[in-house]
Formats: sequence, C-alpha cells, structure tokens
Amino acid sequence: MADEFIKGFAILTGGLLIWLVFAGWFNTPSFYDTQLIAPNPEDPGTYAAVALVIKDAMLYFALVGAFTFWVLVPTGRRAREYYAETDS
Amino acid sequence: MSDNQDPQTDGSGPGIVAPDDETPTWRERKERRTGLSRLTYEYFERSRREDQDLRQESTYVERDVLGFPAWPHETVRNLAISSFFVGMLVFLAAMLPPHLGDVANPAQTPSVIIPDWYLYWSFGLLKLGPLNPELSILGGEKLMSDEFYGVLANVAVVGVIAIVPFLNKGSARRPVEQPFWTAVGVAGVTFAFTMSVVAVQNLVPFSHGITFDLSFLLPLVAGTIAYSVLKAMREGYMYDLNRRYYRLRPPK
Repeated sequence: MADEFIKGFAILTGGLLIWLVFAGWFNTPSFYDTQLIAPNPEDPGTYAAVALVIKDAMLYFALVGAFTFWVLVPTGRRAREYYAETDS
Repeated sequence: MSDNQDPQTDGSGPGIVAPDDETPTWRERKERRTGLSRLTYEYFERSRREDQDLRQESTYVERDVLGFPAWPHETVRNLAISSFFVGMLVFLAAMLPPHLGDVANPAQTPSVIIPDWYLYWSFGLLKLGPLNPELSILGGEKLMSDEFYGVLANVAVVGVIAIVPFLNKGSARRPVEQPFWTAVGVAGVTFAFTMSVVAVQNLVPFSHGITFDLSFLLPLVAGTIAYSVLKAMREGYMYDLNRRYYRLRPPK
C-alpha cells in the first residue's frame, strides 16, 4: 500500500511540477493577471505548440497516474483477493 | 549489561535480536516483496544491535539516548533531503518567469491593509466584536470597547497556548498514543485557520454570519473527528515496540 501511495504521489507532484513550469511560461500573462490557467497564446510557434501539448499531457499524466495508483490498482487487488477467496 | 528485564536507554537489555547471519541486509530487504514490516523491523533491530555493540566496546561516555549513529544513517538522509530542496529552489528560480513588480509608492496608502498571512489568526481575533456582550446592568452599554475586547481575546488565546505544556509533558511519540491531546491540537490548528478566514472576510464568498458561526463550530467538529479516528486506531498499535525505539528520555 505504501509503495502504491508513493508511486502515485511521485507521479502527481512530478507531473504537476512540469505542468506548472509550462503554464507559467505560456498561460500567465502577468503576475497581477490570471495565473497558470489563462487561455493559450494565439498562433504559438512550433516549439511553443510542442510545449503546450507536453503541458496538457503532463496534467493528464499527473491526474490519471495518481488516480491509477491510489484507486484503480488497490481496487483491482482487493477485487482479485475477493474473487480468489470466493472461488476457493 | 544489567540483569533486569526492562529495556535500557543505552540500548542494552533484553530484546528480539536475530542472529547476524539470519537478519537481512538492506539489499535483501529491498528485494523481498512479502512481510516487509517484519523485515524492516529486523533491519533496524540489526542496526540497533550494531550500535549497541559499538557502545559497549568503546570507552566513550555513554549517552542516555537510544538512537542511530549520525554517520551514516542521519547524514546521508539529511544530505539527500537538503540536495532535494536546494535543487527544487534552483529549478523553480531558473524556470519560472520572474515577477518584477512596480516600485512601492510610499505616498499612497494601499486599499487593503492586512498583516502577513501567518498573523491572520491574531488579526481575526481582533474582530470578535459581535461576541462582546452588552450588559443590561450597564443599560445596554458594553463593558469595554470592541478593540480592547479583541486584544483581550489575543491574551486569552496566547495564555491557553502557554498553559498547554504544563498540562501535557509531551511523553507521547505518536498522536495515536494520546488521542485527547491530539484532538486539542487539531482543534487549535482549525481554530487558527477559521480565525484567519474571519480576518480576510471581505475576500471570502460567504456571508459574515456563516463564517463567524463556522469559525467556532469547525474546531469542535475537527477535534471530535480526530479524537474518534485516533481512538479507533489504538486497536493494534504496538506500544511496547514503539516505546522501545522512540524512548528518547531516561525512564522515570
């Protein structure tokens, strides 16, 4: 259980850290304006477009990864244990 | 080594000490997948045994502290933690765009004046005016001004915090060992948070009545929840084992 927790936590924090950096670059017009969640810049260059894709991918990676290790994997284990007990 | 059966603070005394050829090394422990709690216990027992042997062989004056040697256990861990935080600071400072704000104008008073966030709780206690009773014997007058009432509230809260160390000596090594005092702490932290919300009421999307009532109800609720959860956790908690490892004071 503890291993699953730290895996999910590492994915969550690491993914959100990379998301934070790119969101700080491209989605923060100024300090006093919307921070991190402002709309994407119009007509980004090639590198900026790649960075925006990575940013979104990292956000979903963090959320889905944490959900997987904290909810799905333990649920699957419990379900497998349960069915192993009921079968025997 | 003494003959009595109690664990001694220098690490001697009876205990479950597995023979050295049966205890796992750290690498073996990492490779095992089952019984990890037992293996971890044996690893630390082996480490404690090595520490005990070193103490008994040396002529150094024995400390009355049972612990692990600073080198390498503590040093390696602290180096890892320090490196992580230094690296995180450098990373964030290098990667995030800097905020270079406007120069402060000393001739203009800011529209919002609030203290730093860690003093919000004290600022909120200054706003307890609605609790200041209007006494009928004074003809509906208040005994003291709302401002002085808020200062007195600060005095009372700081006084309560100052009394707590005299009521509880802090012998518990884990919250689960003293659920009541943990509940007191949780309620206090929650009260500090709710008082902070009262302090910045104009930024909160609730009406003042709701936040004011919740600021006294939520600490009670949080303390009750913490108490009941820790009471339930006492089932199966190994007091002796933990006391053995975390006894940092000489026995009474």
